[in-house]
Amino acid sequence: MGHRRLSSVEGSGRVRRSLNVLAGVAVLALLLTPATGTASSSRRAAAAAAQQQPSDSPALTARGRELYQNSCASCHGPDPAGPSYYPTVPSLNDVGGAAAVNWVLRTGRMPWKDNKGPAIERGEQHFSDEDVRALVVYIGTAVGDAQLPDVDPARGDLQRGRELYGQACAACHGMNGAGAALGGENIAVSLQDVHPQDVAEAIKIGPGQMPVGGGMTDYEFGTAKSQQDVDDIAAYVESLRTDPYNEGGAPIGGKGPVPEGFVAWVIGLGLLVVASRWIAGRG
Amino acid sequence: MSTVTERSFKYLDERLGTASLARTALRKVFPDHWSFLLGEIALFSLVVLIFTGVFLTFFYTPSVQEVVYDGPYEPLRGAHVTAAYDSVMRISFEVRAGLLMRQTHHWAALVFVAAIVIHLCRVFFTGAFRRPREVNWLVGVLLLFLALGEGFTGYSLPDDLLSGIGLRIFYAVTLAIPVVGTWVTYLLFGGEFPAPDIISRLFVFHVMLLPALLLALVGVHLAILVLQKHTQFAGHGRTERNVVGKRLWPEQTFKSLSLLLFTTAVLALLGGLAQINPVWQYGPFEPFNVTSPAQPDWYIGFLDGALRLGPPWDLTLFGFTISEVFWPAVLFPGIAFGILTLWPWIERRFTKDRAEHHILDRPRDTPVRTGIGAAGLMVFFIMFLEGGNDIFGVLLNVSVETITRILQWGLVIAPIVTFLATYWICKGLSRSRLRPAQINAGVRLSRTADGGYETVSLEPASSDGEREPTPTGPPH
Amino acid sequence: MTDSDQQGSERVDVDRQTEQGPANTELTGSQRRAERRTAIALAVTVLAGIGLFVVYFSGGQTQVEGVLFAVALGGLGVALGIWANHLLDAREVVEERHELSSGAAGREAFGDALTEEVGPVLGRRSMLLKLLAGAGGALGLALLLPVLSLGPAPGDTLKVTPWRRGSRVVDEEGEPVALDQVPEDGFLTVFPEGHEGASDAQTLLIHVRPGSLKLPPEKMAGVPEGTHVAYSKICTHAGCPVGLYRAESQSLICPCHQSQFDVSDGAKPFFGPAARPLPQLPLGVDSDGILVAQGDFPEPVGPAFWDMNRGR
Repeated sequence: MGHRRLSSVEGSGRVRRSLNVLAGVAVLALLLTPATGTASSSRRAAAAAAQQQPSDSPALTARGRELYQNSCASCHGPDPAGPSYYPTVPSLNDVGGAAAVNWVLRTGRMPWKDNKGPAIERGEQHFSDEDVRALVVYIGTAVGDAQLPDVDPARGDLQRGRELYGQACAACHGMNGAGAALGGENIAVSLQDVHPQDVAEAIKIGPGQMPVGGGMTDYEFGTAKSQQDVDDIAAYVESLRTDPYNEGGAPIGGKGPVPEGFVAWVIGLGLLVVASRWIAGRG
Repeated sequence: MSTVTERSFKYLDERLGTASLARTALRKVFPDHWSFLLGEIALFSLVVLIFTGVFLTFFYTPSVQEVVYDGPYEPLRGAHVTAAYDSVMRISFEVRAGLLMRQTHHWAALVFVAAIVIHLCRVFFTGAFRRPREVNWLVGVLLLFLALGEGFTGYSLPDDLLSGIGLRIFYAVTLAIPVVGTWVTYLLFGGEFPAPDIISRLFVFHVMLLPALLLALVGVHLAILVLQKHTQFAGHGRTERNVVGKRLWPEQTFKSLSLLLFTTAVLALLGGLAQINPVWQYGPFEPFNVTSPAQPDWYIGFLDGALRLGPPWDLTLFGFTISEVFWPAVLFPGIAFGILTLWPWIERRFTKDRAEHHILDRPRDTPVRTGIGAAGLMVFFIMFLEGGNDIFGVLLNVSVETITRILQWGLVIAPIVTFLATYWICKGLSRSRLRPAQINAGVRLSRTADGGYETVSLEPASSDGEREPTPTGPPH
Repeated sequence: MTDSDQQGSERVDVDRQTEQGPANTELTGSQRRAERRTAIALAVTVLAGIGLFVVYFSGGQTQVEGVLFAVALGGLGVALGIWANHLLDAREVVEERHELSSGAAGREAFGDALTEEVGPVLGRRSMLLKLLAGAGGALGLALLLPVLSLGPAPGDTLKVTPWRRGSRVVDEEGEPVALDQVPEDGFLTVFPEGHEGASDAQTLLIHVRPGSLKLPPEKMAGVPEGTHVAYSKICTHAGCPVGLYRAESQSLICPCHQSQFDVSDGAKPFFGPAARPLPQLPLGVDSDGILVAQGDFPEPVGPAFWDMNRGR
């Protein structure tokens, strides 16, 4: 019996220590669970820079042409307004103009590295901000759609934005911007860490399966109403990013009950099973 | 004992006979294996649920009357929401410690059902449901169903977009019941979807009817356990005619209290650190809006997955329709839970074992039962995975179609493979006669006929020199 | 020490217990260590409890509250666990099981007790018993009647929606929708005028690309300009709103169970558990250029039910 006591002291000490480690790891994991997506300060600077309509300087256009010939023409064809070399590569004439160029370059989708199904994968911005502006000016002018969308969440009405978002965007992107699979390897990306410029540009372009106008009725680029709509939606999406309301703790990805279930089993029940073993001793 | 305590005990005993009652109770012996505490985890989660639930009930309004939201959550300011949703927003943002209580309540619900399931697995795989415990098995399975009902009704109360979608699906499931489906649905919901009465009815189920049944059955469950005494694993000195363990007081009381505290601690930790069901993000329910991804809580997840697995077959017989929803959501759960409920009798039909059993099986010694149980768990697990197919699709960079096809095949193949693999593993383990290191039993006292004590010492155990004919010690 | 209560209770030997194992031979050292650890755990609990007071009265913070509660409760749990395992003189006890069954004699005695009261009635008043059964049945059924007050009779309500011939198409806010309002590849959730927000009336208006619709002529008659098609938004599988429109492939996917519908082909399901296409709402245009319905949906909308094909 004395034998048993000693071994149970050691054993329970071991178990208790691993319980402590487990608890510490669990708490840390919960606290450090990152939201989806990555923030890059250079992207924000580029976006801010891109907000100003790039002026039509000849130097910029020349630089843009040079970059285009070096990096883009091999797939998209020698003339941005003309056909591309491959049937799977769209001509830049009808992808959405300057806004599309700005969007794909800033979000690292171009130069093309890999596809996530039919949608091109996001990544780090490849070109410098100056080069992005140059390409935007060059290609935008070449295809006759040089204007970048203007957006300012501060001008937007947060409540109206939430309503519009619920009608037009939430079905695919989720009310909390978590994103979802759309079937056929299509994915509506997470909006929990995007820049307002991304929102405005994507609405104008209608990339991939997303309709032009983002599914909003009577969207027309340039009209005052559409500008207000975009500002409103951008305000709501910005609130998803700055996230001042999630006081409940670690969002666990924001994907709803599935990850919550995993946490309940692995962390909740897991910790309690460890506790049970410690409590019962070597019984 | 102080004289005050002494006098109080005397007072009660003179009127209720509590002293001898309590003494018998306090001296009751319970065996000491850690896996016997799993049911207690469920019980203590229930305690947390009641404690936090009562708090929430003081603040929740079970009404769908439209109000204007004017709380601190900016994006909803000025929006028209139901009073139910508004009250949950208030709990989350304006009541001090409200969010902690709400989240602890929801985590407790998830862990409650998880603990029931793992406890059920322990009972199943050790054969503790055999005679004389078939009745308690029934009670336990019923408790599982009540827990599922409590969970579903509970998370539908905030009337948010996500749970409202779930209610819509539940409406379709009851509609799919043949012959009486439409009537049952209309009586349950109070009319066509979205029936406004449903929120207040769910409230009645959630805080009154189901808890009453739950608590009553928990009482029965524990009473039967005390009456029949707990089962135990085979080992030294353990026979079908005795229970070897520690007494209720003080050992088991201290241990149970400790587990109660740990359960509450873990649930409070989750409730504070891990956000769950952020209804402000989902927004209020509107019958024409939807959000992605859309799943129910994990314990209903198997049903969601079953619905996703298809197949798209609806039948029309003599002008009457059997919905495609019928097979995964009505027939499958009916059969699966039917088998679960009737398992003690199903097993007995094949084993012809009508003896009383108080010694538990080691799962490896009953490879068929263990294999079937593992296969059953695999079926539910596959369905749960399919329920999250759009989330896994994004995570693994695979289309939902691919995941669905794989899991459709998996549903047929995986249980068979699981059964065979489990069977083979069990056989292998039994054959190798691996057993944990034996523990010195030490000294045993026994009482002689004239009231004295006699020391009966036991030799240290070895694999050959066992005194008992029963095999190996308890698993660790 | 087996139980032998000499105080006059007849429960002598009731627990039939034997203790085994030696008395607590644990070294005092380790016991003192256990005591110290228990004390520390209890002190932690006290501190955490005080912390909770501080946090609560200074405004409260969910994460800190959760952690402090966990620490306070966990501390006490650790203390009791150490106490249970190291500070108690815990011996293993062997308790004999009692016979569960009352035995044949016991059951017979019960049977006698039961029939002793009822027996005479059972034997001779069978007509009374039959009436008793009848009364019980009638009363039982009657007591169930209030259940029927819980809901209306279904009638035809699942088979009709508020859409009528001539209903103007309006959006969520009640604004009439003109023919040229929805851009190409765009979609809008619409309702009949006067029933904005009605669940069963929710309809998706989609502006598809010209020439892409493959509908039979009688269905094309309900598609203004051959591009403005309207389908019920309620999934025919389990009723979720099918709000995910994939513009490039002109298909809809329902987020609940991933049923996918081909908009160009009458919203027929081509993947997933849905078995029936989304019913199409035939549209027309009125003299003001506003879209109107040409009638209600030709089939019941939403999930299937037992008598859905039995006429209206």
